[in-house]
Amino acid sequence: MDAPAPDTTSERRGRAAREASSIELRGVRKTFGGSVVALDHVDLEIRAGEFFTLLGPSGCGKTTLLRILAGLEQPDGGELEIGGRDITGTAAHRRSVNTVFQSYALFPHLSVRDNIAFGLRMRGIDRAECNRRVDEMAEFIKIGQLTERRIEQLSGGQQQRVALARALINEPDVLLLDEPLSALDAGLRGELQVELLQTQKRLGMTFVFVTHDQKEAMVMSDRIAVLNEGRIQQVDSPDAVYERPRNRFVARFMGHTNLFACEPDGEGRLRTGLGTLSGCREPGGGCILVRPETLDLQPAGREGENRFPARVVERLYRGAFAEYQVECGDERVTVIASNRGQALFRSGDEATLAVDPDNLVSLED
Amino acid sequence: MSERVAQGFSIRREWGRTTHLLGTIGPGVIWIVLFLVLPSLYLISVAFMTNGPYGLPQMPLTLQSFRELAGFGFLGWSPGNLYTLLRSFWQTLIATGLVILIAYPLAYYISTQPSNRRALMLLIVVVPSWTNQVIRTFGWMNLMAPDTPLSDTAAVFGLIPPQLGLFPSSFAVIVGLVYNFLPFMVLPLYAAFEKMDHDIVAAANDLYATPVRVFRHAVLPQTLPGLMAGTVLVSIPAFGMYVIPELLGGGKSMMLGNLVARQFAEASNWPLGAAAALIMILATLGGLLILRRIGRKLGGGKEVVL
Amino acid sequence: MKRSRLNRSLQVFWYLALLFLYAPLAIVVTFSFNSTNTYAKFSGFSLRWYEKLLENEIILNAFYNSAVLAITSSALATVFGTALGYGIYRYRHLQLGWLIWIIYLPIVMPDIVYGISQMTFFVGVHQLTGFLQPDLGTMIIAHISFQVPFVALLIYSRLVQMDPLLFEATQDLYARPWQRAWYFVLPTLRAALISAFFLSFTLSIDDFVISFFTAGPESTTLPIFIWSAIKKGITPEINAISTLLIVTVFTAAAISFAIQRARPAQSRSSQ
Repeated sequence: MDAPAPDTTSERRGRAAREASSIELRGVRKTFGGSVVALDHVDLEIRAGEFFTLLGPSGCGKTTLLRILAGLEQPDGGELEIGGRDITGTAAHRRSVNTVFQSYALFPHLSVRDNIAFGLRMRGIDRAECNRRVDEMAEFIKIGQLTERRIEQLSGGQQQRVALARALINEPDVLLLDEPLSALDAGLRGELQVELLQTQKRLGMTFVFVTHDQKEAMVMSDRIAVLNEGRIQQVDSPDAVYERPRNRFVARFMGHTNLFACEPDGEGRLRTGLGTLSGCREPGGGCILVRPETLDLQPAGREGENRFPARVVERLYRGAFAEYQVECGDERVTVIASNRGQALFRSGDEATLAVDPDNLVSLED
Repeated sequence: MSERVAQGFSIRREWGRTTHLLGTIGPGVIWIVLFLVLPSLYLISVAFMTNGPYGLPQMPLTLQSFRELAGFGFLGWSPGNLYTLLRSFWQTLIATGLVILIAYPLAYYISTQPSNRRALMLLIVVVPSWTNQVIRTFGWMNLMAPDTPLSDTAAVFGLIPPQLGLFPSSFAVIVGLVYNFLPFMVLPLYAAFEKMDHDIVAAANDLYATPVRVFRHAVLPQTLPGLMAGTVLVSIPAFGMYVIPELLGGGKSMMLGNLVARQFAEASNWPLGAAAALIMILATLGGLLILRRIGRKLGGGKEVVL
Repeated sequence: MKRSRLNRSLQVFWYLALLFLYAPLAIVVTFSFNSTNTYAKFSGFSLRWYEKLLENEIILNAFYNSAVLAITSSALATVFGTALGYGIYRYRHLQLGWLIWIIYLPIVMPDIVYGISQMTFFVGVHQLTGFLQPDLGTMIIAHISFQVPFVALLIYSRLVQMDPLLFEATQDLYARPWQRAWYFVLPTLRAALISAFFLSFTLSIDDFVISFFTAGPESTTLPIFIWSAIKKGITPEINAISTLLIVTVFTAAAISFAIQRARPAQSRSSQ
């Protein structure tokens, strides 16, 4: 009786870390109505304890992929392993996987407490133990004082926390999150992004996060898989996906782009619409990407290697930075210059565009 | 190998799903098929049988009942049945028209009220129709009996001879029909008004000015689906009405429903009654077709239920 | 100015319509308290017709039959109809369009056709097999067939208003199919189930024609009794029985309305 109450949170945290599970998908296919291809032979490996994001525009198949992981959708073909066990045909209610749904899908007829306890109750855990764990989880997720409320009395952010608690309390091998923050306003969203990330790191659980917001993906993820039209375009860390996109789609989806056609001149230089660039690391032909913030706009008249005369067509002042539309050679280029108090260019000004060859990325297509 | 495993799983899943499907919709569907669809089919087949002793149907199959229905009896041709059929049509037509005229302002008025009062107002309109049809009709018998204020007023204007009641008459039957079916028109019309874009009406008020044109060009097109649904819900059961003409109408106001019932009670000619019922079934199916089409239109072509 | 005149005349029309809708019921209720045996003039308040009801064994028996018929058929129809509505909802992506014919058939079919088709069928089956002799049992069967579609439509319309993800959330949270039904579907549908039962109940109490044709000699219900009393020559007790039935229906209507009102009101007050 005097024995100290076991520090179950930390105990469980340890257990979760030990049991964090990897996920492996091999050749997963899914079509709807026989013709709409949602997923086209997806191969994917998600590491244990990783914050992994499925990123793509709506209709790219990311939600379908998540639902296949949850068991709410069955693939037409391919295999699915979690923690080394094949669960391809396992029904949703037999998988140690839980989901935070986009609309939260909280049960309106149950209180917050009963919502959070739902999964435990379904697995036959007695009420007293459920209550104890709900209190603990509610404390952990900072909704301790809300447990006796009804769902419709909660704000959006509180509902989001309840949905998270309802999933986490089951200590699943993998937690799936389907755009869980998209219904919240910007301020709360940023706050919860940080909290969600901290929660994941503390528990060491494998999180699979779905979003269409590339900024959110870059903030949160250990690794990102970019999807388009049912295919995986690239799987990489956030900086790699942004700075070294593999193709035009990934480049465009991750941020502002300047894309040029180029061809090597045989002497280690590249001919482009801007002019001839020298000093490139891998002078291949085809399409190259230059991110607007890596370009530099300098006063007119500067000459030298990789400097080209340009004319400002339009300026959009955005406070922390300014965005310029610039005509240079045969191309129209976007330049983003951070505002360090230096003189701004105006529309119609002549200027010099400086290109750093280290920041050129050649794309596959 | 794993493809085969997945297939095995999917077969098991299909099986579980099929039993679940049968377990949920099975009992209700089987019940309706067994105790309503089968009896209806049997009734249709009776229409093609021979009338035996005591009015019970017998083999062989024949079209005799339809000839009788058209008026060809043992004593030559008589137009009685055709009159009944025609009367059913025109009494239904007049009653439906009156119901539409009364229901439009009511439905519109309810839709303009504050939303927390609308449900109660609809309930007030609907509740009388939940009481038993016989009682409601009996109420009208009381109201229109001789020596009551209504009958006396009618007598003063010379509409009926003094000392007589307003029933039995076709007038009483039509009043009964209108009373009985008014809620079935108000509800779908109200639903249409609730969805109506009132800006269009306001714009039309500015542009057309006369109320008739506003109604024709702005209100009617928007409430047409509700009007159609209401017309089906009113006219089909009205066409087959039995209780109201039986109590409020005399022999001269008889409708098809009474003709049918008579063949199963006093006259004892099941095949003839079944033949008359078949005409009603055909009208019913026609009504279902219309209702389903409206449902498709409203549901954007995908919803199963109206 | 123009608007308010339109509104005023609509309001007058509304009250006239209420008069039209409630006059026949009001006269029945009023004359049930009449002290003399006439329906042309109200000659004083009295409860004598109600006292006469209690002495009349046929009427009491008819009352008992009506109650058994309404309660039994409503209970069974609520079970079958709920399962049907749930099934249509769960499998709405399958090609179930043909089902709608079966569901709308009892709703649109004229009572008289319905009644005689049941009667001919029951008589036919009884001649062949000895089962389904017309009595209270056949009436219950007939009533269930027309109640089931209404229940199914009501339950279905409640289900389509729900977030479909809730079903998936139960699966995601380890609920087996029976647990999903018990801990999620039934509690969510509780209000709809009660409404469905009351709807079935009023449908059963309201029906005359179908009961009339499927009844046997021993299974007279109140509406059938009233009908034959009217046919034979009006007796003043009819007003009293009718009043009791009217009160029953209005009570049922008020209860189901209060239940539907109660839910949003509860959430408003607790905020």
